Amino acid sequence: MDTDQAPFLTTSTQGIDMIEGDITLPSNRTNSNELSTLDEPVLDTIKRDLGAVFRKFGYAVIPRHSSTLLQQWDLWGPLILVTTLAILLQSNATKSSAGAQFAEVFTLMLIGSIAVTVNSQLLGGKISFFQSVCVLGYCLLPLLLSAFVNNILLYIPTKSTISILHIIRFLVVMAAYAWTMYASVQFLGQTQQPNRRMLVLYPIFLFYFLIAWLIILHAHPK
Amino acid sequence: MFSNDGFLTGKASSSNSGQTHVFTSFPNSAVDPEDEHFGDQSSDTDKLVLPLPATAADAKPEQSYVWQIEYYQKYFQIDTQQVLERLAASVTPRPNKSYFDSTIRQNPDLYGPFWVCVTFIVTVGISGNIVNYFHLPDAEFQIDFSRITLSAILVCLYWWLMPTFIYFFFRWRLNRIEYTFLELLCLYGYSLAIFIPVSVLWIIPINWLQWTLTFIASLVSGSVLVVTFWPTINSDHKRLSAISMLVVLLAHLLMAVCIMFVFFHISDSNINPKSVTTLATTTLSSTSTLTATTISTTTVTPKAV
Repeated sequence: MDTDQAPFLTTSTQGIDMIEGDITLPSNRTNSNELSTLDEPVLDTIKRDLGAVFRKFGYAVIPRHSSTLLQQWDLWGPLILVTTLAILLQSNATKSSAGAQFAEVFTLMLIGSIAVTVNSQLLGGKISFFQSVCVLGYCLLPLLLSAFVNNILLYIPTKSTISILHIIRFLVVMAAYAWTMYASVQFLGQTQQPNRRMLVLYPIFLFYFLIAWLIILHAHPK
Repeated sequence: MFSNDGFLTGKASSSNSGQTHVFTSFPNSAVDPEDEHFGDQSSDTDKLVLPLPATAADAKPEQSYVWQIEYYQKYFQIDTQQVLERLAASVTPRPNKSYFDSTIRQNPDLYGPFWVCVTFIVTVGISGNIVNYFHLPDAEFQIDFSRITLSAILVCLYWWLMPTFIYFFFRWRLNRIEYTFLELLCLYGYSLAIFIPVSVLWIIPINWLQWTLTFIASLVSGSVLVVTFWPTINSDHKRLSAISMLVVLLAHLLMAVCIMFVFFHISDSNINPKSVTTLATTTLSSTSTLTATTISTTTVTPKAV
């Protein structure tokens, strides 16, 4: 017993060992980048940011397994898409109600994204608020393209109430809707436990369904 | 001092044949107090819980506040399977098995009711606009958002007001505290599920079909509600219980009829949308006062007896 306790007693009589070292971080890329992005020409910044946005569009349109969309989220893409969609969905408006129509569509999409995101968080998902809004916004691109096609098709005159043109428009928007759902399921479906996955995906389905019907029911371009 | 297996034994007892061991070295207890979460039914394995120090008296290590998401997560402990079961059970009235006891009693949730209401509002909005699309000439049609907000207000008011009435009625008239407010909300939310396919079928512009659908749907889901509430309300005053069940059914029917009139009923093609909405709101307000007076008269009558 005495031998166990001996080192305990003896070490305290010696001096404390000095530990030396260097705790400074090596100057990493972000530090140098932060200094240099202030100095770089504006065109470089715009090119880099736009490149990031377009790359994310590519990921959203052709869903691949990459973490770029989730980890380097930004809200530029969703903003551009929602604004363009709100402009496209205006119809036959007088000058005063045009603003109201824009605001209606914009608010609808905003509240829809917030509701879907909060729902996913409440069910225990591991995704943050802005990541989810980013993914939902970027996956809107196919529906935006179908709104373009819709508007172009509406310029073809038609007489009857239900013609082949209506059916084509319906099919185009529904195909875009299926594409959008597939893309967002790839990204958002993985963040949830398997026994709750449908519970999280259903509000997304509802949100995009509402937007698809807004596009289908949009009858007259300006 | 030490016996053969390493445990400390008392000196006085070591000489006895029947030794009493005094154990001083305990193995680590395998039971963690955090494993029994209050009300936690599902396997919530993604919560990282650190083991408590031995001096902590509180069983729950995390304290969530009203402004945090975790505070509301306890209302969303539910799986896909359970939601589907509850939806299916809300449209099948069974006289023997109370729907409430078999499905909701253990775990009331807010996911189902909320999204059923939102789906109902969305389908009513879309179907109402489709009806307008076919009804109005092409140049006049515009997506009418004011109708969506009106339907949203109607449905949400119904979903919250009826449980409030019933809650107060049960507590203070009947003095029975069987149902919490959350469970009543859950019940009423799921009972709106049958109206979702009905609201799609309401597009078909046949008058008698619309009325038939309304009656059948409100009867089915209203009877589920009645069967659930019947054991609680079945007291000595038979007339009181019958009247209150009738009120529940009538309120359900009234909500369905209101929605049908505001959005779908094309009996007269000259109906101005504005007049229809004012008609609906005045009907709603007058019948809500009617419901309130009915409840108050039923409360008055037992005293007279």
